[in-house]
Amino acid sequence: MKKILLLLVSVMFTLSSYGQSSIDYSPVNTVTQVGDTLIMKFQYFKGDGNDLTLGQLDFEYNNKLLSYVSHESQAPTGASFARNNWTGYKFVPKADSDEDDMDVQYTWWKDEAGANSYETGADWSVERVTIQSASALENGQEFIKYSFKVKDKFGSGYSNYNDIIKVNWANYQESDGTQIQTTRSKDGQDLSGIEGGNAGNFVINLKTANTDNYTDYSYTVKNGVGESVATGTFDESGQASISDLENNVTYTAEANLTEAASYLDEVVTVSDLALVFAEAIGAGSGPSGGSTTFDYFVQDIMADVVGDGGVVDFQDSYEILAYLQGVDSSNTNLITQDGQTEDYSGIASTYGAVANDVVTFAKSFTPIDSDASSKTIDLAHGLVGDVNFSHSYTPVVESGGKSTSARQSSARYSKRDSEDANIDLISEINDEGQVVFSINSDVEGMVGSQFNIVYDPNVLSLENVIFDTGNTMTNFSNIVQNGIVRVGSFDQNFESTVKEGTPYKLIFTPLETIENTSGLISFRVKEGVKADGTKINFIIQ
Amino acid sequence: MKKLLLILLTFTILIGCAKDDEFLEPITNEEIPQSLQIKELIGIKLENTIVTDRVAMNVKLPLDGKYRIKIRHGINNELISQEMIEAEEGDNLLRVYVASLDKSGYMIQLTDEFHNVLGNQSFVVN
Repeated sequence: MKKILLLLVSVMFTLSSYGQSSIDYSPVNTVTQVGDTLIMKFQYFKGDGNDLTLGQLDFEYNNKLLSYVSHESQAPTGASFARNNWTGYKFVPKADSDEDDMDVQYTWWKDEAGANSYETGADWSVERVTIQSASALENGQEFIKYSFKVKDKFGSGYSNYNDIIKVNWANYQESDGTQIQTTRSKDGQDLSGIEGGNAGNFVINLKTANTDNYTDYSYTVKNGVGESVATGTFDESGQASISDLENNVTYTAEANLTEAASYLDEVVTVSDLALVFAEAIGAGSGPSGGSTTFDYFVQDIMADVVGDGGVVDFQDSYEILAYLQGVDSSNTNLITQDGQTEDYSGIASTYGAVANDVVTFAKSFTPIDSDASSKTIDLAHGLVGDVNFSHSYTPVVESGGKSTSARQSSARYSKRDSEDANIDLISEINDEGQVVFSINSDVEGMVGSQFNIVYDPNVLSLENVIFDTGNTMTNFSNIVQNGIVRVGSFDQNFESTVKEGTPYKLIFTPLETIENTSGLISFRVKEGVKADGTKINFIIQ
Repeated sequence: MKKLLLILLTFTILIGCAKDDEFLEPITNEEIPQSLQIKELIGIKLENTIVTDRVAMNVKLPLDGKYRIKIRHGINNELISQEMIEAEEGDNLLRVYVASLDKSGYMIQLTDEFHNVLGNQSFVVN
């Protein structure tokens, strides 16, 4: 008996489903991009054997995600057609009912809900289509086609394109007014895989060792054809926020340091010189160089200050030496210096990577809406001449590091290890009324040292620099600019060292009567380098 | 008489050529501007905290001797300028020249010759 009842219920259910007509709605075309035109068709399928002469359907679409473009009636010849629309309304289905039951929802709207069938909803627009024909509509007859423009969901308040179109109810009748039971083909129309659109807030993080001066850096974002689409400067934290980039579009980004920065003459120092000399002596040059002393391939680029294709040789070291000495080599060079920068930048994770023996600085990125991590990039920056990365980013990419075998093949001069040492820098007025600035050092083993001394040129005139560094050191002193003098020594053979005691003494003549010298002389760069390449940071008590 | 005149003339020229500060009278408290007066026995004081070019400074010392005046960066305490003075006990009116310093916050510090701190004051180069 149980089996018979079960069979009966099954048959009734099948007959019940079979007996319903349906309103089918689906896209005619495939849309993939914001801005594409979506064409939707609304179609009648006959399921109950009755003759449909009146078809009326009511649907709503999300007007924040779709923009109505046009409609095209598909009513058969001789049939009447009408289309109505109301913006700012949303259907309220009958409570505790099947929302797919279109004739129930129609009856709810018509006879039961009164003013409660629609509520205001700024994000929604309601469309209603009516087709009436003297003759029965064919199974599969389309009612109408709508064209909508797919809008950017950025700023819409919606995170996806689900349920952007929903049929609310359908009124299917026979010619004698008999209501035809109707269902809908789906709860709502979704769109997936929509690309493009505003990428929203896009962040660039600047990566540099020059962390005190982030605001001196600018960024430029270009599109695929090289047009600049966003420019600006980084904020104090090294970040830049960009809007107006689009999802699924590939851009490039680069960073540049302003040539007006006041500290450019502090970027390339005697420590860099020592590294380049060591590399030149080691005859290592280029990514495939076998006896390199550098730790990173990018150092080949930074050390190539004459710009001959990443080859690091004595030309480069002597060019830097000439620069530090204030000697005009009559060559043009790429050394970062007062009023001149030569920038390299790229995505930090691949900055300085080597591919096919070429050091690379990949700059491209593609925001993807579904991938939050693609909305942020770390942009690394380096300066030519800054071989010890004092003001530049140190590569992290594995292929950017030189091989273990190369590391073992020669002394490593490029290591960024440094040590501190105490010195005493002091100014005083001597018996002759001159201002004497003394650099007192007990540091041993320095093959090079450099001091950038700043003085007030309106009060002091530099008369002389007295060296007592030993007999074989190459000493240099030159006025970098009015009020800044660079003083130092270097032994390019890495054998002699700066003599302890008072290796440097600067003599100034006051241009006005002064009782003391507080503030008149200050120091910026103050560093030394040992024969093994270790940088010495001078600490003044 | 001629000899006497010659001696007088020579003496007058010598006085004229001598450095003024050798003849500076010891500074009394009344001569110190209110803005530079230091109540304690030892200390350092600037006439203004916000400075653009130069500013008067009083360094009050316990004894004659050598002292250091240091200027440190206001954030990282790094020493960026230092002078050695040889000064007398009591008030010493001096100057701080800031024209070549970056616009920033600083600390000026008085120490003895062996870096023992005797006083300090913050200031801003504007």
